[in-house]
Amino acid sequence: MSEPTVLQRLRDILEASAEEDRDWSQVDRTTTIESLGVDSLSILDLLYDIEQEFGISLSGSDVVSIQTVGEIEALLVERGAH
Amino acid sequence: MNHSRRRVAVTGLGIASAIGLDEASVWRRLLAGEGGIAPLTQLDTSDFLVGIGGEADSAGVRERLKELKRRPSDRALDLAVVAADDALREAGLIDGDPPYEAQEVGVVLGTGVGSAQSHFDGFSAFFDRGVRGLRPTTIPRCMYNAISSGLSIQYRLTGPNYMVVSACTSATNAIGVAFRSIRDGYADVVLTGGSDGFFDPFFYGVWNNLGVLSSIEDPAQAIRPFDADRQGTILGEGAGMLVLEAHDRATARGAQIRGEIVGYGETSDAAHRTQPSPDGQALAMEQALADAALAPSELGLISAHGTATQANDSCESESIRRVLGGAAAQVPVIASKSYFGHTLGASGALETIVALLALEAGTAPPNLNLDRPDPECGDLCLVRDEPRSLTSPFAMKNSFGFGGGNGVLVLRAATSS
Repeated sequence: MSEPTVLQRLRDILEASAEEDRDWSQVDRTTTIESLGVDSLSILDLLYDIEQEFGISLSGSDVVSIQTVGEIEALLVERGAH
Repeated sequence: MNHSRRRVAVTGLGIASAIGLDEASVWRRLLAGEGGIAPLTQLDTSDFLVGIGGEADSAGVRERLKELKRRPSDRALDLAVVAADDALREAGLIDGDPPYEAQEVGVVLGTGVGSAQSHFDGFSAFFDRGVRGLRPTTIPRCMYNAISSGLSIQYRLTGPNYMVVSACTSATNAIGVAFRSIRDGYADVVLTGGSDGFFDPFFYGVWNNLGVLSSIEDPAQAIRPFDADRQGTILGEGAGMLVLEAHDRATARGAQIRGEIVGYGETSDAAHRTQPSPDGQALAMEQALADAALAPSELGLISAHGTATQANDSCESESIRRVLGGAAAQVPVIASKSYFGHTLGASGALETIVALLALEAGTAPPNLNLDRPDPECGDLCLVRDEPRSLTSPFAMKNSFGFGGGNGVLVLRAATSS
């Protein structure tokens, strides 16, 4: 079995931290963070979980303009996640 | 604002417990004498003195949450959502054209333990990884008012929103506060009740080591309120929710009235952290009856605190005897913890709902395991293993807590007048 991709790992984190129930197989790169029900508080958990999972450090300025799942994935790949 | 004393109606009920996740299931099992104590499944109890309790059906809770597009969060909040959704829906506050502006609806709940699961997760992460293991939302998940604020946000209820925390008296105190706020004109409708969910290794562990849990191994026999062979209590998780509403407004909008709250009393023993006192308990009962302008002999039912500990049941019997005098031998007494287990801060809500259902049906459900009444309690009119017809529309609900708090409600069946 192949290693999970950055996108798959990201989707798992989103699913684990979300309070709303949804069909997670439908979440793709174009899905907006806002549409996942992530508010300004729960995004702190999301960023924390991403840092723990990928072993990187994110600052507020890194993520302030991010709107979609694909944009988070691109940032993680840029920081060396694979 | 109308500050004259107003009648307070109950227009919605919801319950999530070891004997069902809806009112109809709970009432059916109460009448059938089917208790909910069983081996615990949420934690490994192999190191525990007692491994049984009253657990709600977890698959059923998940299913109900899924219908509401929610995922499981903290157990106490999850149970509260299941019960609150039923209560608000029955009262007509969710579907269709809501009869109240959102800012008119308050949320006042009780809890003994609060968000136990979130606390356990936080402690575990801290001891595993230190401060770096603590997720940013640990505070809002762990705060006691996570339960009331969670319901306020879920249903966009913008009235008062807070918790009452007084151990096992919590929900009864919360219902009392909600009752007074409507009666005295400060609110028209309040979602009230309580929730506790605490079957994690830490919290359930400290209860195991407190020495008050029953050592009887057979789950069906373990909790025996007022029985001579009682060995202690058994814990249960659960939530009970009631929509209280100004009677005139409920009547004007044609809401179905399930009963009324007509009196409330509250005192503190100011004596010992865990030993109950008949002085404080009796005074709270007298206050509640006076508040309802009711003579003790007019009561048709007593829903006891009835924990099945040696200390509680003897003390509560003495308190009832003092207040009711000769009427103590005539007023039927039920102890619903024999079905749910002791749901701690939620117990006052679950048991108030049982009392309201009993008044509505004119029938008290049987008490479980009351095979040989304790001589210290046996002069009370304890309901045995068969349902019993009620002869009066009034009930008294007792709740007593560690820390010495006593809360007592007086309830009345719905009337056409």
